[in-house]
Amino acid sequence: MDENRFNDVIRELPRSFNEPPPPPLDEMWTVIEEAHFDAPVSISKPRGFASRAPWLAAAAALVLGIGLGRYLPRGANPSELPAPSAIAANSSTPMPDTSAVADAYRDQTNRYLGQAAALLISLPARDASGKTDATFATKATDLLVTTRLLIDSPAAAQDPKLHSLLEDLELVLVQIARLHTEKNKGDLDLIHQAVEQGDVLSRLNSAVATTQSSE
Amino acid sequence: MTIPVSNRTANGRDLDQRQLNHRVNETQLIARVIAGDRLAGRTLYDTHAPRVYSLAYRLSGDAEKAREFTQDTFIRAFSRLSQFRGDAAFSTWLHRIVVTVVSNARRSELRMAREVELDEADGIEASATEAEPDLKECISRAVDNLSDAYRMTLIMHDIEGYTHAEIAGILGVPEGTCKSRLSAARAQLRQELAAFKE
Repeated sequence: MDENRFNDVIRELPRSFNEPPPPPLDEMWTVIEEAHFDAPVSISKPRGFASRAPWLAAAAALVLGIGLGRYLPRGANPSELPAPSAIAANSSTPMPDTSAVADAYRDQTNRYLGQAAALLISLPARDASGKTDATFATKATDLLVTTRLLIDSPAAAQDPKLHSLLEDLELVLVQIARLHTEKNKGDLDLIHQAVEQGDVLSRLNSAVATTQSSE
Repeated sequence: MTIPVSNRTANGRDLDQRQLNHRVNETQLIARVIAGDRLAGRTLYDTHAPRVYSLAYRLSGDAEKAREFTQDTFIRAFSRLSQFRGDAAFSTWLHRIVVTVVSNARRSELRMAREVELDEADGIEASATEAEPDLKECISRAVDNLSDAYRMTLIMHDIEGYTHAEIAGILGVPEGTCKSRLSAARAQLRQELAAFKE
């Protein structure tokens, strides 16, 4: 190829090398708008998820309830304990035997934090096969319901550190739960970034240590 | 709201009245986006997205990736708007982000490709009956074989029409470096295409 021909090649480059199609401006803006301007709304995505899968929310609530029930003192009359809705409505209501509930709550929280930590630690850096995505997404989906229940619990409201950790975890779990959809493949990097930036793992370890030491 | 804007940039370059007006408008738009104004966000996006998308497409060669890179660029830019100090033009700042986003993704892809190549190296023989590539394909390969810095400079200058000053601002290197990179990139391209027979 002589000099003149090469110069022609350079001049032709805008048409011969990766000529872009018209940009899908509206389509891209929808994603940007949702991610940036609707960000506070996206925090409540798990609520939407729970409303889309009420049976799963109910099942998780049942599991949590059974867990709490196991730790109640034998012979205690459940009617002596305030209804959860009453607790949520008025956290200043005096409780007859709060220590048992507190113990049960702490135990459930501890177990949940352990499971969340295990999930985040075992999350691969990347996954070419897509098989592990589905496994992790299922685990994250299960944990999401518990996360929301714990966030809404009065005990979390009294512990700002834990509440903040649970909210961050919720966001990360939502991302993991969406990994199985084809559209969200390759989001692992973003998840790892979110975990790193939020210092989620060390906060998780610290929370586990705190709940264990208070036992 | 009146926002004071100097008519001298951080590198001492004077701006003419048109550029100054544009900057004032853009500064006001940015302030409104920071305050959560969607319309201002869309206006800012409409002004810059076509060029950002075009560069992302040229660098990636894939419409889906270009879309993701553009989205990622604007999401990052909007979330960091409060950190934009106005030392450089907003478009320069924005293009720094897209270049970083694309470079990171490209590095990650190359790393993965190398690992896959190593995994598949055993027991696979190169096909001896490969078809002769046409000029367009040869050019694509030759451009892709350039180092990141050369490739970026060539694409930005010779394909997307950025000036050396713009490229220098975006890549954070002196203009002289841009010029020498472009020259080296063209020389390497010429060498790679020398053997091509039409």
